[in-house]
Amino acid sequence: MWPWAPLGLTTVTAALLALPVTPALYELWKRGDAAPLPTSRHDGRIANFAEIFHSRLAPLRPQLERCRTQREVFLTSIDGMQVLLVGSNSEDFDFHPSLTECVDAIMLSQPALVPAGTVVEADLCTDSILELGEGSALRAARGASDIILGKNSVVLRWLHADGTIRLRPGSTAYGRISAGQSIWLEPGCVFEHMHSPQILTVDSHQGDVDQRDTKYVPSKIHVCQNHVCQTQEGTREDPQPAVLDGTDASDAFTSSRKRIRIQGDFVLAAGETLSANVIATGEIRLGHGAHLFGTAKSYKDTVIEQDACVHGGIVCGGTVELGPRSFVTGPLLAEADVFIARGTRVGEPDALTTISSCRIQIAAGCRLHGTVWARVRGSVEV
Amino acid sequence: MLMDLFSTIILLICIYTFRHYCFTLNRLFGRQRHPYVDVETAVWPPITVLIAAHNEEAVVADIIKALLEADYPREKMTIIPVNDRSTDRTREIIDAFAEEHPSIEPFHRVGGKPGKAAALKEAMLRVNTEVVLIFDADYIPGKALLRQLVAPFFDPEIGAVMGRVVPLNVGKKCLTRLLDLERSGGYQVDQQARMNLHLVPQYGGTVAGVRKVALEEIGGWNQNALAEDTDLTYRLLLAGWKTAYENRAECYEEVPERWPVRVRQIMRWAKGHNQAMISYIVPTAKCSSLGWFERVDGVLLLGVYLMGPVLLLGWLLAVVLFYTGVQIGGGLTVLALGAFTTLGNFAAFFEIAAAARLDGSRQRIRLLPLTLFGFTVSLISVSQAAWQQAQESLFGSAELVWDKTERSRTAPVLDDPLSPAAHVLRGSL
Repeated sequence: MWPWAPLGLTTVTAALLALPVTPALYELWKRGDAAPLPTSRHDGRIANFAEIFHSRLAPLRPQLERCRTQREVFLTSIDGMQVLLVGSNSEDFDFHPSLTECVDAIMLSQPALVPAGTVVEADLCTDSILELGEGSALRAARGASDIILGKNSVVLRWLHADGTIRLRPGSTAYGRISAGQSIWLEPGCVFEHMHSPQILTVDSHQGDVDQRDTKYVPSKIHVCQNHVCQTQEGTREDPQPAVLDGTDASDAFTSSRKRIRIQGDFVLAAGETLSANVIATGEIRLGHGAHLFGTAKSYKDTVIEQDACVHGGIVCGGTVELGPRSFVTGPLLAEADVFIARGTRVGEPDALTTISSCRIQIAAGCRLHGTVWARVRGSVEV
Repeated sequence: MLMDLFSTIILLICIYTFRHYCFTLNRLFGRQRHPYVDVETAVWPPITVLIAAHNEEAVVADIIKALLEADYPREKMTIIPVNDRSTDRTREIIDAFAEEHPSIEPFHRVGGKPGKAAALKEAMLRVNTEVVLIFDADYIPGKALLRQLVAPFFDPEIGAVMGRVVPLNVGKKCLTRLLDLERSGGYQVDQQARMNLHLVPQYGGTVAGVRKVALEEIGGWNQNALAEDTDLTYRLLLAGWKTAYENRAECYEEVPERWPVRVRQIMRWAKGHNQAMISYIVPTAKCSSLGWFERVDGVLLLGVYLMGPVLLLGWLLAVVLFYTGVQIGGGLTVLALGAFTTLGNFAAFFEIAAAARLDGSRQRIRLLPLTLFGFTVSLISVSQAAWQQAQESLFGSAELVWDKTERSRTAPVLDDPLSPAAHVLRGSL
């Protein structure tokens, strides 16, 4: 017998045994993927993309100013990005594809109008008003003033205006939209993630809405003591926030409130008031004109009927329906859908909040303050 | 008798295997729940951040700096470094920060019962906010982490919140790379699946938060608990409070770089967990306010560290039964055992592989076969811990000590431009 046979057999066996761990040993030696996992850098600022875009283009401001004084269009580059500086106004610059093709960004110093049906693949940065014509499409835009999206126009990635953004009927804003002052949405608009101190849904014929601060003060404050509801008279004119049980009624976060756990459904009858955080394993329903001072959590659906108020948040495992003229301090978190009826308010101008859900449908005449995040689709009722 | 015991062990192993597959498949194909992750605008409540520190001169400056840079309303945040009887420069470092920043209110503990729970219990007397966040001193929170941890407290049912721990010193040693995979499996799959399925996510004691009202309702921190985190999870659960897991609230930590340190760490966890199991397994199983699935998951979670010695006993019994000629069963049983050896044995590794995939790691998955080595060390360690615990229960228990995991960091890194860790951390801040 060949004398090296045992050694050969052992070697082959060892090699076969080592085969499955060879990639592991190789990775251990080469350390190809040994860096710490990157953690989330999302800092919650919706206008992040817009701010980064703006700061990247900031060094081109003097050149843009020169273009503006000479009313010319000039192609330049910064950080490998092709930028078109437009000093002329909307009559001279019409976003013709021959001008904008192969351009990564367009800086505008004058009010601009993207003509109807035009597709602009570059990101826009404008110091003045920007208007998109009917059926036009834009990748992203940042405006120092107002931005108006024409009928059936589309923004694909993000949109930020320091002033106001107005979405005309049927327009769509995918991704993030944020505005320093307000966002106006007309019927048929589609959105995903938006933030502004004021988000208003208006009828298409409505030019303006009453922007007075109509801070809600309940006419009656009911104090629930030992499960017996008593009623105290309050005044609608009282400018101070409602105070109940020594807590600020406008504060959504008061866990010192009594906690009521209910196995099954919970109904607060019409006109009744309760001060407690309510947790129900079934549905929660607040009747017409009812007031809840506290947060409502339901494992299933939540229905807030007409004129009812939740001075706290809503956390819902199903669908939330906010009836006409209802009010929620917020946050409003639903795992399924949210339907908001006409005249509803969520949040307050000085207490912005979040509405988050898979799908959000808002009727005209609503006033929301803060962030609205529809993970799948948000829309304004036609 | 032996056959009955063996059958019971096989049944338990099958149950845990099924659990592993449920969690992994849920994470890969199920509906993912992140109900609080979108809360980016709100009237944020005042919070207190407790930093548990015991001889942490090398690391405490980093966490204080990171907290001072956090994106949370400054006027609503109080930082209380809980310096528990440190004998190094921890006190001096904390006081230096406190002089410059009024939002830092140091608590220097010089006596009292040892242990993190006891220190936190005393520190809680100084807390007057509704939400308390807790970090160990070697953790470095990112900018948005505090808000991510606070957001679930808008849900009135949430009593505690747990964030995700991500190893920082991954590339240092073979051990750190294995622990990185293990942590991925534990958080990315296990914890998140429990969150998805409305089960029992576990409060982990650091990168975590607790509602003060809930804590007071259950009688505060349990000073006698070896694992105050598991203890708190179950006391809250039994009192009708839930724990939320926030997978995207990620925070870097340093994992042990030496095997003896790792062995001590896992033995401590095992003892604490087993102690909680003894206290809470029956109340959890009987708790009528919990759903059936919650009860089952709660009981199984309590038993995870006991499965080590159970598995060892099963292997031993299998050998004994084989050599004593006991018939294990008919063809169906052999087929079932064969199926189990091909599928069941790999359930935990499948979980880790799925976690690595979800994390987007491409090459570290190659290390999967080596996790068998880490698994063996853990198996022996937790079995040894269970054995020691059994002895202690018979002959009297050992005194509680703050058995701190040895730090590998020897100096603050955040301001060190040459430190690769600083580069990663600065990116996250």
